[in-house]
Amino acid sequence: MNGQAATRVAYRRGAALVPSARGSRRILAGAAALLLFTIGAFAPQYLANDFLLRLADGGLLLGILALSIAFLMSQAGLVSLGAASVYGGVGYLFAIAMSQWYLSPLAAIVASMVVVTVYAAILGALIIRTTPLAFMMLTLAAGEMISHAVLLEGLRDYTSGADGLVVSFGGTLFGLEAGDFANSARFWPIVWTAAWAIGSAVWAVRRSRLGAVLRATRQNEERMRFSGFDTYGPRLAAFVLANVIAGACGLLHVLNSGFVSPESLGLGLSTNALVSALIGGTATSAGPLLGGVIFAFAQDQFGAHGLTQLLTGLAIVVFIVLFPSGVVGAWRDFAQWIWRNRNREAG
Amino acid sequence: MLEIDKLSVSYGTVHALQEVDLEIAGEGVLHGVIGPNGAGKSTLLDAVSGRRRPTAGAIRYRGQDITRRSVAWRRRRGMARSFQRTNIFQDLTVREQLSLVAWRLGDDRISDVIEVMDLGDYLEERAGRIAYGVQRRVDVALALIGRPQLLLLDEPGAGLSAEETLRLFQHVRDLVGERRIAAVVVEHDVDAVFACCGVVTVLDLGRHLATGVPAEIRADQRVITAYLGSAA
Repeated sequence: MNGQAATRVAYRRGAALVPSARGSRRILAGAAALLLFTIGAFAPQYLANDFLLRLADGGLLLGILALSIAFLMSQAGLVSLGAASVYGGVGYLFAIAMSQWYLSPLAAIVASMVVVTVYAAILGALIIRTTPLAFMMLTLAAGEMISHAVLLEGLRDYTSGADGLVVSFGGTLFGLEAGDFANSARFWPIVWTAAWAIGSAVWAVRRSRLGAVLRATRQNEERMRFSGFDTYGPRLAAFVLANVIAGACGLLHVLNSGFVSPESLGLGLSTNALVSALIGGTATSAGPLLGGVIFAFAQDQFGAHGLTQLLTGLAIVVFIVLFPSGVVGAWRDFAQWIWRNRNREAG
Repeated sequence: MLEIDKLSVSYGTVHALQEVDLEIAGEGVLHGVIGPNGAGKSTLLDAVSGRRRPTAGAIRYRGQDITRRSVAWRRRRGMARSFQRTNIFQDLTVREQLSLVAWRLGDDRISDVIEVMDLGDYLEERAGRIAYGVQRRVDVALALIGRPQLLLLDEPGAGLSAEETLRLFQHVRDLVGERRIAAVVVEHDVDAVFACCGVVTVLDLGRHLATGVPAEIRADQRVITAYLGSAA
């Protein structure tokens, strides 16, 4: 075995900062995931009514946005309050590209995602070195600037000010028409697939060397630099990736609703996504996604009693106090506790 | 290996180092730096390793001026350091952190480091859960990865018993000799320094007081007055 290979083996044997499972367990987990994905993609269309599906669509979209925030929190120790500005900003870009630049849907998607990536790279390059608190405030400031920019009178021809923009969706996107995205039953498999794809990508990044470097940097940045690591590049990459996820989520939202308004850029949506991430737990991909769905259904129930804000606040306190690592984190801790007890009794 | 030329470091109005000249010449030399509290020992290591930017003076490493170079740049070119307060990755296992750093520095022989620092029994333990003495060894082990040419050790014996400190010093001395590298070690345990270091430098109030072999330093009246006192 040559030197590089030995290093790779040593690195992997060291669990690469994540525990490695045995091959058979991996196959079993893969089969279970595939089954869950298939059932989840199609069963709700037959089991749930339109209202519930619409709620689930919104919840999962919120969950994807929460995942972008959770990724940055858990990997880089940074909290972004500007996720909604990217989410809504992509919606505006897509709507403008479709309605005023007459691009095809695919070209409009590519154009808006390129703009968001460049924006995230520039913003990140400026703010990623700041302290976590300053970073949070700067993302908030950047987000607020964007949400106010769409209301500027000079941009009204493009953004329609406070009225928002209706998307003129012409043609098809991968064989799907505007009606397919607007229909809650037909949109569900799309958003479900997107959630799995993005969740899997985030999972893969967490397990990658980039994820390992990010987590080690979050733990002890000084030691990383004294170990020869450049800590700036990986953190910037994480910030750009988080924004790309938020942008993809914004695209799904605008395709589904066919409309984008200043509300989709605001701090309120960012904080809802942050709360969803905390409810579900930030350490996994499933946590924020589940958190978004729980948040959406809870909001609906609280709204039915006319006490949305009061009950939401109460629920957040209860959740965070009882489950500091989120619902998924608590479930994982519980499962590990059972597993340890079983092993102790057996051994 | 390392030339320090009229190096000064100030914290506001406090002059922690004032025009210090020092040369770490030979390979295979363990060079001790001693002095009373506030002498500027740790500041000297901070400036050399890039943690603290000097207010004046120059640092040359293997003939190259590195005064403005980043910490990571210096590390990648063979200058490594450990810290006065244990500075490791508390939530990673010992193996994970050694492997990560080894990957970055392209070192395929971390088993040597594990053996030298006697960490074989702790590889799968989270660093934050192991005894402090072992954590100190992990800290030094992280500095040893990548086969550094210059090792800067800031009070490696802090928090260790006299016996553990001496053993650690012996480990480092042997390593420096075997690998023909240079090492600068800042330490309060004068006995360990005199027992293991080939050359000793004494700092006092941010100024260079004396440099020489242990016997010369022990006999130097200025050093006795400023630092050693009756211990000499």
